[in-house]
Amino acid sequence: MGWRGTLLSIHIAPAASYEMEELEEAELVAGKGIVGDRYFYGTGTYSPKPDAREVTLIEEEALDALAADDPPMQGAPIALGHDEHRRNLTVRGVPLNHLVGWRFRIGDCVLAGGRLNFPCKYLEEILGKPVYLPLYNRSGLNCWIETGGIIRKGDVIEPLDERTEKPNRAFPSRDVRTS
Amino acid sequence: MTARIVMKLDVVERTELGDDVARLVFRHPRRPTLAAWTPGAHVDLRLPDGKVRQYSLIGDPDDLATYTIAVKREASGRGGSRLVHEALCVGAVAHVSAPRNNFPLAPGRAVLIAGGVGATPLISMARELVRRGEDFAFHLCVRTADSPFAIMAEAVAGERLSVHASSGEGARRLDVAALVAGLAPDVHLYCCGPDRLTAAVAEAAEGRDEDTVHFEVFAATADENYKPEPFDLTIASTGRTYRVPAERSALDVLREEGFALPSSCELGVCGSCECGYTQGTVIHRDVVLEPSARQHRMMPCVSRARVAVTLDL
Repeated sequence: MGWRGTLLSIHIAPAASYEMEELEEAELVAGKGIVGDRYFYGTGTYSPKPDAREVTLIEEEALDALAADDPPMQGAPIALGHDEHRRNLTVRGVPLNHLVGWRFRIGDCVLAGGRLNFPCKYLEEILGKPVYLPLYNRSGLNCWIETGGIIRKGDVIEPLDERTEKPNRAFPSRDVRTS
Repeated sequence: MTARIVMKLDVVERTELGDDVARLVFRHPRRPTLAAWTPGAHVDLRLPDGKVRQYSLIGDPDDLATYTIAVKREASGRGGSRLVHEALCVGAVAHVSAPRNNFPLAPGRAVLIAGGVGATPLISMARELVRRGEDFAFHLCVRTADSPFAIMAEAVAGERLSVHASSGEGARRLDVAALVAGLAPDVHLYCCGPDRLTAAVAEAAEGRDEDTVHFEVFAATADENYKPEPFDLTIASTGRTYRVPAERSALDVLREEGFALPSSCELGVCGSCECGYTQGTVIHRDVVLEPSARQHRMMPCVSRARVAVTLDL
């Protein structure tokens, strides 16, 4: 896969429903999450459901499209800030939808794509913005952390061209929910 | 009850108003403006011990830089107000939800009836009614006429305020029945206060158009002691009935019986598994459905029924 992307911003929330807070750098812990984040502590909205959710990513290209009302299915442009979409990492130049079942690198850390993120009415409710339909199929990627470490804003993101052994939806012999 | 964002706000002002009442002003550490609100709105305060308490906003809604609340320390309460008084000094961080209004002001003439700390939402309403040039009266029941709520209410409502003190010099209790009986049918009645006062107002207002009678009730937060009970679930299209045991969700039972409802969170927050119901008393435990939708829609992942329910499937 010939691409090379960038980590634009890092956000965590201390507990479910709390505002996202921006970090310049963050510690990823393999098998757990981002230190300080609700899914690291098991206090996230979806924590009671076992799932690939140690780190969540979204493409800035998708946010650009929402801001441009493209495709025009939402009535008006929607400005969805990096601190609003509730995914941890906002990235540019990374084809997230192609990474289910694959390993990729952010800085010195290795993530594995578990499943596509699915938009949720909860986000609409908490933001007061009609983002459910516009985010359909570009809502980001839920990942496992295979190799932990420190990630920083501006880190390069690159493919590793290796399948992950972690549960994922691309290779359904392993169920993402029964990890 | 719908999901709202929780913010960590700085306590930037604290004023002791007397009678164990503290006025607290919150500001966002990074954002210059907070979410807009309308008179009657409240915020949830998440307390250090995990409790959640509701407080009406009493500031000026045009000032989007800050939220202001007034908290009376209730010695005999559930402990929330004592924690607020102890924990929230200037410089502390308060965990505050975005505002929500379950007690909005309708157009038209108004009579506001409050008891004690129940004055807080009505003070914001009075400010708005003055601004609109609307005809209104504000009746405030307090223990003594020098109550800080009486002082705050008077600053906003002026001569439209009648203070009814239950003790001290010039004590005169409010005759709720006579007051309500004398109101024209189109006057809107707003009441917030202790159970005794709201019960008296509800009784006096019997027979009035219920759209003109408004109460603010801060229910204890759901779920602290919720105990699921088994119930029967009937499918409208087939007439078949299935038992939902206490330890399983209606969604699980439906799935097992071949009803493939969409689902995602299974926690009552995403809204995927919404379905209609026709008969039965549903115990709504989700945070998605609007109150008006709860009469005929439910989230079977978390919501249950008392005894039995019939689903539109």
